[in-house]
Amino acid sequence: MGYGDKGRPNKRLKASAKFENIGEDVYFGEEADDDHRDGEGRQEKQDFSKLELKPDHSNRPLWACGDGRIFLETFSPLYKQAYDFLIAIAEPVCRPESMHEYNLTPHSLYAAVSVGLETETIISVLNKLSKTKLPQEMRDFIEKSTANYGKVKLVLKKNRYLVESPFPEVLNKLLRDEVIGRARITSEGANGRDGFTVSKVIGDIGGGGGHDELLNEAELAAAAEEKETHSFEIDPSQVENVKQRCLPNALNYPMLEEYDFRNDTVNPDLDMELKPQAQPRPYQEKSLSKMFGNGRARSGIIVLPCGAGKSLVGVSAASRIKKSCLCLATNAVSVDQWAFQFKLWSTIRDEQICRFTSDSKERFRGNAGVVVTTYNMVAFGGKRSEESEKIIEEIRNREWGLLLMDEVHVVPAHMFRKVISITKSHCKLGLTATLVREDERITDLNFLIGPKLYEANWLDLVKGGFIANVQCAEVWCPMTKEFFAEYLKKENSKKKQALYVMNPNKFRACEFLIRFHEQQRGDKIIVFADNLFALTEYAMKLRKPMIYGATSHVERTKILQAFKTSRDVNTVFLSKVGDNSIDIPEANVIIQISSHAGSRRQEAQRLGRILRAKGRLQDRMAGGKEEYNAFFYSLVSTDTQEMYYSTKRQQFLIDQGYSFKVITSLPPSDTGADLSYHRLEDQLALLGKVLSAGDDAVGLEQLEEDADDIALHKARYSMKSMSAMSGANGMVYMEYSTGHKGQMKSKPKDPTKRHHLFKKRFG
Amino acid sequence: MVNATKGLFISCDVPMAQFIINMNASLPASQKFIIHILDDTHMFVQPHVAEMIRSGISDFRKQNSYEKPT
Repeated sequence: MGYGDKGRPNKRLKASAKFENIGEDVYFGEEADDDHRDGEGRQEKQDFSKLELKPDHSNRPLWACGDGRIFLETFSPLYKQAYDFLIAIAEPVCRPESMHEYNLTPHSLYAAVSVGLETETIISVLNKLSKTKLPQEMRDFIEKSTANYGKVKLVLKKNRYLVESPFPEVLNKLLRDEVIGRARITSEGANGRDGFTVSKVIGDIGGGGGHDELLNEAELAAAAEEKETHSFEIDPSQVENVKQRCLPNALNYPMLEEYDFRNDTVNPDLDMELKPQAQPRPYQEKSLSKMFGNGRARSGIIVLPCGAGKSLVGVSAASRIKKSCLCLATNAVSVDQWAFQFKLWSTIRDEQICRFTSDSKERFRGNAGVVVTTYNMVAFGGKRSEESEKIIEEIRNREWGLLLMDEVHVVPAHMFRKVISITKSHCKLGLTATLVREDERITDLNFLIGPKLYEANWLDLVKGGFIANVQCAEVWCPMTKEFFAEYLKKENSKKKQALYVMNPNKFRACEFLIRFHEQQRGDKIIVFADNLFALTEYAMKLRKPMIYGATSHVERTKILQAFKTSRDVNTVFLSKVGDNSIDIPEANVIIQISSHAGSRRQEAQRLGRILRAKGRLQDRMAGGKEEYNAFFYSLVSTDTQEMYYSTKRQQFLIDQGYSFKVITSLPPSDTGADLSYHRLEDQLALLGKVLSAGDDAVGLEQLEEDADDIALHKARYSMKSMSAMSGANGMVYMEYSTGHKGQMKSKPKDPTKRHHLFKKRFG
Repeated sequence: MVNATKGLFISCDVPMAQFIINMNASLPASQKFIIHILDDTHMFVQPHVAEMIRSGISDFRKQNSYEKPT
């Protein structure tokens, strides 16, 4: 079946070596739909031998093809510069070790313009780096897509949204559009010929910076001069619609959003600095320089792998802007973590930072501060308590300098809209590790927040020792005879998932891995199971603590604390709740026993739980003591649907350059007897238990924050045999859960039993 | 008295044996093709069903493997 060579780059190259006549309709279509990027069924091979090779081609790092694809050789001496440039102008498609593939899209070019690159710069630098003469199609495409970029700006001034442009004719054109015309607010004091407000601003100085000598000429060309700008005001509630109308697939005048925070005298300053020990790493610096390239703050998204220090980037951005900051996280645990990060990295005083969750409703004193809250708290539509109503009112009326949004990929678009329409902010910064969603809503982020400002290359960070070097493995567990017989029966179609997750061979492999890593290596292990039935069965049988949707905040904190500090708690079972934002830096092994169908994002998020680098730097670097210091196991029952999902899930990580090793004989045959379910009677008893459980109880756990389901439903219809995946909703599990709560509290959490290393750390 | 029946001897892994048994069970009585199940991995079937079993298994495997759309 060819699983062995999944991660190899050449496979990918072969598949993508077919371009030609991809018309503009493809470019301007849904490029977010990356699975069908070049149309299905296009089979013709492409011949590029006509392209003219430059005489010194071996010194140049990339191949540019007429259809917008760019291939970069990572072994070239110019790799670093070329990478920085490409990541600014193109969308990374696949980044294995030696050859990267990028794609030019209107959105990526929009992002390039918004970080200050100009059309001529893009073309001339590309031409310099390319081994061949730049194809005319590509020139035309870049010129066509960028012609209108950067002409219109959206500015928030004194709580009013203004559309600004140095070209009144462009504004007139925009106003002729129905949506924008309606959104306009005509103010009385308007002057200027067309009723636009005219003001003078200093032009931008310099480009994005950081592209070294390659850009010098162009930067000089973009020298500053004083320009006249014209503007009109729009209705704050229509901002999103206006922005959407201006995107490349409509009017094609994408708006830039910039915040000139240094000259903002209206909003009070917040006194906060980065502490001296907060040393941003090179890639963190780079992402910040993209955001603050011209002395102003740009809105946009920064993509960094989990564990690479996203929070430091967020805190640095806030302390550079030095205005009130609203920080949004996905749940209460990560709210606590963000508040902690702010205090850890910056000199902010305790009374200037407050958390706003259902449990803690703090308010900051003084006229500027940082508020950390969840998306749910802000977007909540129902009736609130008087206290939180007051706080929300305050949030609504305030003009925020920075809106910091964590994990932007998980939040459903409608919730974003609500949050953004409620809060007025000068600058929005989105942070995420995985810009993929199965429902293809990623493009929405482009106009809701802004373009992608920076995306780090995972493998480069691994090489630099900034994130852990993970060994990914797919463990193949054959189904036992009895379980597979039941799996095949039609009447069990709803229990398929439970049957392949509870497969005794899988259980034994899991038990073996836990034992091996706990005893031989002294590792800390997280076991993930989406299926609650399996989660409880596994955790009870192996006597390990578990956390899932219905586990209370207090109990979660307790279990995690024990996991971090106690030597006796080395394994914790997590349901989907652990996918995002639960910060467990101690863990370095993940065992995945069941998952949310084919979600690529979940796979990457889970891997992210163990990416935080551990151990000493020199051990981690190439040639150091440990080649791998973290392990990601995905247990898969062979001959079942799980194989399909598993391969699909890995795609994102493979595109980041990871490869999965397949392990077929676990547990080894000589260690069989002391593991659970060795005897047939035990296996049959387990089978009986699975079969007698209600269909509801064996389904997937549903959390409120799941909005990624749409595409999965679609997949289900087309596959027809996946009805097994339909879950029940949360209510059932809450009932189900009450019985086990007491059991976990008995786990040892005595601080005196802490390992001496941790004692030091926690005082 | 010894009886001789012409048939096909199948040797496969445990799950696939179950798959074939399940296939057999889903057919009406007149079309059942398994003559004898010898053990977990071996069975004796009617000689004409080889192609049907092959295509059944290949369909099943196709359903369970993901091909990256290009």
